[in-house]
Amino acid sequence: MNPMPDTTTAGNGGNFDPQQAAVLLNQTTQQTRRRTEPFPPWLVAIRAVLALVIYGTIWLSVRGQHPYHWPTAAVIPVVVVLGLVNFVATVTVAKRATSGVSGRTSVRTADVVFWAALWAGVFAVMGVLIGAGVSDSVVYGIYPATVPVMVAGVAWAVVAASRANWRAAGSATAAAVVGAAGAFAGPAGSWAVVGVGLCVVLLVNAAAVAWRQRRSVVRA
Amino acid sequence: MTADELDPLIHVPTRLKIVATLAALPEGDTLSFTRLQDMIGLTPGNLIIHLRKLEEADYISSKKSSNGTVSITTVALTGHGRAALDDYTKALRALLGGL
Repeated sequence: MNPMPDTTTAGNGGNFDPQQAAVLLNQTTQQTRRRTEPFPPWLVAIRAVLALVIYGTIWLSVRGQHPYHWPTAAVIPVVVVLGLVNFVATVTVAKRATSGVSGRTSVRTADVVFWAALWAGVFAVMGVLIGAGVSDSVVYGIYPATVPVMVAGVAWAVVAASRANWRAAGSATAAAVVGAAGAFAGPAGSWAVVGVGLCVVLLVNAAAVAWRQRRSVVRA
Repeated sequence: MTADELDPLIHVPTRLKIVATLAALPEGDTLSFTRLQDMIGLTPGNLIIHLRKLEEADYISSKKSSNGTVSITTVALTGHGRAALDDYTKALRALLGGL
């Protein structure tokens, strides 16, 4: 796509006027931001809905339990599949968007391994808690609802801050805060609090990315 | 201010696209030649001509590295190039009376 005529020979751009230059500058900047964004707004918005569906489904399956036991067994495979789809889709889109880009924006294989190991570690600790005889309300309620979000939020905030990506660092910190807030809502309520909170954080993040992508450099 | 005062190295559609593309990445990030070519939509020969002009003015830097049998060229905007684009953008705003 090349909407403007090229004027390679003219030192001052030939008949390339400032209005055309402003349009081209905006178009190119917006297009590059869009094409190299590892976490595009549409994907983040889908993840927001996915988080609400996953956490909401679990909350529906546990909200009437007195005393608290665990989410309905039928919910687990659905959650695992949705979680895996989310992970694979995120990695695939991010890798494609940052192909050929090196530096802070790029998504490296080491990053993917780090996140996979982090999640595996969080759930390995859950296995340890079960073995240690910790109560069901913690092992199958508060811990899986809040700790993965808190750990991933803090880790992502640190990674984003080290890359001077302050928007992402802010979103990740907000996610960690949502996880922490969920810990005070009890074993059943934590699923609802984290689901709604995470959905809101992700939607705000999607809106912020979309706004940044569309922002003009020059008013043409 | 008149349009003639705009930086003549940047005020050419193709070079403006190259500089704006590189500037849209976070500072310090580099772009491979093939990805840049794909984003700008130019032939390799044409792109090389423009990159050379920008490199001569120290607006961009390029680095060639070898990954086994494949040679990869990466391009990045220099601090000088980013400052030049900032000045160019300010001049455009002044000319258009916007933002």
